[in-house]
Order: sequence, then structure tokens, then C-alpha cells
Amino acid sequence: MTSAISVTELTKKFGDFTAVDKVSFEVEVGEIFGFLGPNGAGKTTTTRMLTGISSPTEGRAEIMGHEIHSFAAKERMGVVTDLSNVYNDLSAWDNLIFTAKLYGLNRRKREEKAAELLELFGLYEVRKNNVREFSGGMKRRLTIAMALVNDADVLFLDEPTTALDVQSVKMIRNLIRQLNESGTTIFLTTHNMAEANELCSRIAIISQGRIGAIGTPEELKSAMDKMHYLEVVFDHTPEDFISDLRQLSSVREVEQHGDKYRLFTLTPSDTLLELFDIVQAKGVKPHTVNTLAPSLEDVFIELTGQDIVHRGEFQKQKHGRKRGGGR
Amino acid sequence: MSDDINLLSRVKKEATRAWAIGWKDIKVYYLSPPTLMFGIMFPFALFFTFTVGRDLSITEMLPILFSQTVFWAASTVGPVVIPLERRTKTFDRYLSAPMSLCSVILGKSLAGVVFGVLVSAVPLIVGWLFFPFQIVDIVLFSLGIFLSCVAFAAMGIMFASVPTESVGNIMMPMNFVRIPLLFISGIFIPIESLPPLGQVVSLFSPLTHTLILIRCGFGISTYPIPPPVSVCALLLSGLVFLLVSRQFHEINKRRE
Ligand SMILES: Nc1ncnc2c1ncn2[C@@H]1O[C@H](COP(=O)(O)OP(=O)(O)OP(=O)(O)O)[C@@H](O)[C@H]1O
Ligand SMILES: [Mg+2]
Repeated sequence: MTSAISVTELTKKFGDFTAVDKVSFEVEVGEIFGFLGPNGAGKTTTTRMLTGISSPTEGRAEIMGHEIHSFAAKERMGVVTDLSNVYNDLSAWDNLIFTAKLYGLNRRKREEKAAELLELFGLYEVRKNNVREFSGGMKRRLTIAMALVNDADVLFLDEPTTALDVQSVKMIRNLIRQLNESGTTIFLTTHNMAEANELCSRIAIISQGRIGAIGTPEELKSAMDKMHYLEVVFDHTPEDFISDLRQLSSVREVEQHGDKYRLFTLTPSDTLLELFDIVQAKGVKPHTVNTLAPSLEDVFIELTGQDIVHRGEFQKQKHGRKRGGGR
Repeated sequence: MSDDINLLSRVKKEATRAWAIGWKDIKVYYLSPPTLMFGIMFPFALFFTFTVGRDLSITEMLPILFSQTVFWAASTVGPVVIPLERRTKTFDRYLSAPMSLCSVILGKSLAGVVFGVLVSAVPLIVGWLFFPFQIVDIVLFSLGIFLSCVAFAAMGIMFASVPTESVGNIMMPMNFVRIPLLFISGIFIPIESLPPLGQVVSLFSPLTHTLILIRCGFGISTYPIPPPVSVCALLLSGLVFLLVSRQFHEINKRRE
């Protein structure tokens, strides 16, 4: 069986700066594949290459077995870009009709599809209004609607839920599930771990242009659980206090960052109870106590075992060539 | 056999999509202020600048007018549309749509061609109603108008392929080319009265060939260039402009 998306060593450079660095992965037909990473990780750049908007510097990719720049590949995909790129000078209706023309739908199909999608996205009442007057969320919904006109086999969604209210987010997530159930492969870009967890069958974590790990949400979650920690600042710390903290049974590891102590734990509440016992015994007062969930970068490091060195340096170590500049 | 059918259906698909782009641009941008200013006001204003006080007959004057309408109207639409579409990122839609870059560029040129023809129809109708003149060679006249619209629309697209999001960034440099072209193309100064070097240079300006063909259409051929040469020159310049545009867009895709 051919993969829905097959990517081999895809690379994008902007001058000296490598935004996407030899990324390879496969997405099977019928998957919801999450592409998760912090700001500036290279998610949008990758999506733009996969959808033919930008040419890769190196590497190749295929959509349903067709080379990305081919007519056949483009016919089979739908695209929601990171910005809501609607035609401000056209009505919502005309936006959909025009998009449907670009995908070769005949007149009857165009009109059916436009009406159906406007209805689905709650825009039917305002279909004749100029899109310029739309709110950000309405434009976002219209952008998603426009990506659905051609019943694509592979749908690229670059942070589809930005600018949407809670209700719309819920509706879009349900829609993504429904589309997937009816056979659409989905490539979902997001920096929201909860969203990726909720929707995706597999998730790739990308940071600084490299894929750190690809796994199921469960794998990701167990990595994340390990990364919870309490951050405590004490009024004073007696001699060798850190090894006392390390004795606590629920604590995996302790790190000291200035006057802050980070207690890594799988069960923050147990650690909290243990912490109170020890501070009383030692006559120490905690100034501040915070429970912190890991950031995407933390998870990335945990999963890959690689520290994210400053963007310039890592590659120099790894590939002996220059990276950086540009920021 | 089935390859032929595939090719034919592919060409049909590309053509209808290109037309969809052209038609949308026509509907949306024909009434925008920069289109009106550079596409309609400019050619007529320049025409009067060039002709008033020059004791010319109507048959001498009309070719100048037509050359101005095709030149300005056709080349203006692309530079108005493309930067705006870059700013709103709607241009990206064409790149991910199932159509070749060539069809996108042809579609974008189409609006310019149609605009050039429409604006030129105005003096044709007005002239035909109120002034006595005769088009002697309708074929050369039509070819002159149509091929010039194609060439200049493509020229506009070429300038608009520079990656910028502001209309002014394209209009400015383009006017640096458009205005000097007027002086070497026999519009203001007849080619015959240019120095020999000027005459040679003028043959490289597509606008010269516009004027030659339109004048032939009106039955005045004072300059010894056979019309087929001018037809070829216009076709060739249109083709070159389109190919350069495509190359620019390929480069943009690599850089963005
Ligand atoms: N056209 C460009 N020219 C130069 N650098 C660029 C360009 N586009 C993106 N970059 C850089 O490439 C890197 C990756 O950007 P990209 O937009 O792909 O990130 P992202 O993962 O989508 O982030 P976000 O979550 O903020 O959307 C960033 O450092 C960005 O500054
Ligand atoms: Mg992005």
C-alpha cells in the first residue's frame, strides 16, 4: 500500500539558515498525523513545501504516490494555510465558488458544495456579505470550508483552530474526526499538545527544523508525565538539603537552578505531602511552590535525549556545517 | 490514443482554471483606483499630450491613441492584482491548486489582455460613430491590438513577479521602463526622424511594432518593416515576458 504522505530528507534553507533539516516521515492512508512543535520549529515551512507553495531546497516528498509538484498530487489534497487567506473582495459564496472552479468542479457541484459548506460552517446567512467585513474567526472557518471543496484525500491543516472560539474549536475537531472516519488522511500542524493528543493517531515532534520523535499519543503522554515537576523556592536551605530532597520517595530527580529547586515527579500531589513533612522537620519555609507541566521543548529533550543547544551550535556539532543566522 | 485524450483533457482543465483566475481578476480589480488611473486615465491623457497642437489628421492620431490604450491598460492589471494577492497570501492558493505555474501566469495575464481590448474598444466605437475614418486592413489592425495586449499584459506580469506586497514597488520601476519606451517607439517622435542608432533601438521595443501594425491597419505604412516581422516581434516578446515571469515565480518559490 502506498503511503498518503511520504517525505524523504526534506530540507529548506533560507540563505544560511536551515528552517527544515532533512526531515523524513511517512503518513499512512487513514491516519490523523500530528505535526507538533513550538513556534519557529519549521512546521509551516514543511507544510508549505508539502503543498507546493514553496520548493524544497533538498529532498523529496510524495502525496498518494505522486510527486508533490505534480497535477495528480495537487488534485488530491486540500490545504488550510496558517493565515486565513480568503479573497477579501469577494463574498463568502464567491470565495467558495472560485475555489471550486480551481479544483474543476462543474457548476451544479460547485453550487451544491458551496451551500453545503457554508451551512456546515454557520456562514450561510452571511454568504452574500463581502468577506472583508468578516471577523477573524469567520475568515478562519471560511478558509477551512474552502479547503474542503474538492473532497481531498489528504488534508493539510496548519493550526486550523487559531482565532476560533471554544465552540468553533469543538466543531472543527469533531469535523476532523468525521472527515477522517470517512477516509480522509489528515496532516495536522499544531503547537497545542492537548489538541494533538486528542485527535492524532500518531504525532511527530519537530523542533528547530528536526523531527525529534514520532510516536503515538500514549508514548508522548508517558514521556510528558515523567516531565512534571514542582518548582520550590525556600527561605533558606540547610547544609546538604538537596540530598534530603532526593530521598523523597516520590521524587525522580532534583535539579537546582539558582535558588529554585525542581523536583521531578510522576505524582505531584504525593511529592507535595512529602515536602511538607521535610520542611517541618528541617525548620525551612517554602517561599513559593509551583507545579509545572513540561513545555514542548522539555518533551522533545526527554524523547530524543538531546539537549537543544543554541540553534547555531547543534548542527555544527552534528554535521560540522553552519547553521544559524536569520534570527 | 488514450495519451492524446489525457493530454486534451488536461489542457482543457488547465484552460478553464486559468480562465477562472482571469475572470475573477476582471470582476474584482477593473474598478480599483490604480487600474483606473494607469489603465484608463494615463493613455488618454498621454494621447492628448502627444497630439494636441501637432496638426495631425484623425487617421494619424488614432494609431497613437490605440497604441496608448493597449500599452497602459494591458500592462497595468497584473501589477495591481499580484502584490495585493501576495499581501493577503491568496496567491499561495494558485500554487497549491491543481494547475501548472504556466496556467496561473496565463490566467493572470488574461485579465490584462481583456482590459486592454476593452479600453481600446472605447476609442474605436467613439471614432467610428463621430469621425470619418476607415480601417483598411482589419486583420493587421486586430492583430496589432490583440497581440500587443498579450505582450504588454505579459510585461505587466513580469514586473509583478518581483516578490513585493506593495503595488507602488512595482508601478514605480515599471513606469521607468514604460515612459522611456514611448520616446523610442515612434509615438511622440516618428521613427523616421530618430537618428540611425535610435531607429535600431526602436525595433527592439514591442510598442514600435504595435504602432506599425495599427498604422498598417489604417492604411499608413511609412516605415519599411513588413507587417509579418512586427507580428512575430510581438509574439516573441509576449512569449519571452511569460517565460521570464515563470522563472521569477520558480525563484520565489525557492526563496520563500
Ligand atoms: N520566508 C522566510 N525567510 C526567512 N526565514 C523564514 C521564512 N519563513 C520562515 N522562516 C524561519 O524559519 C523558521 C521556521 O518557521 P515556521 O514558520 O516554519 O515555524 P512554525 O513551526 O510554523 O512556527 P509557528 O508555530 O510560529 O507557526 C523560523 O525561524 C522562521 O523565522
Ligand atoms: Mg506556523
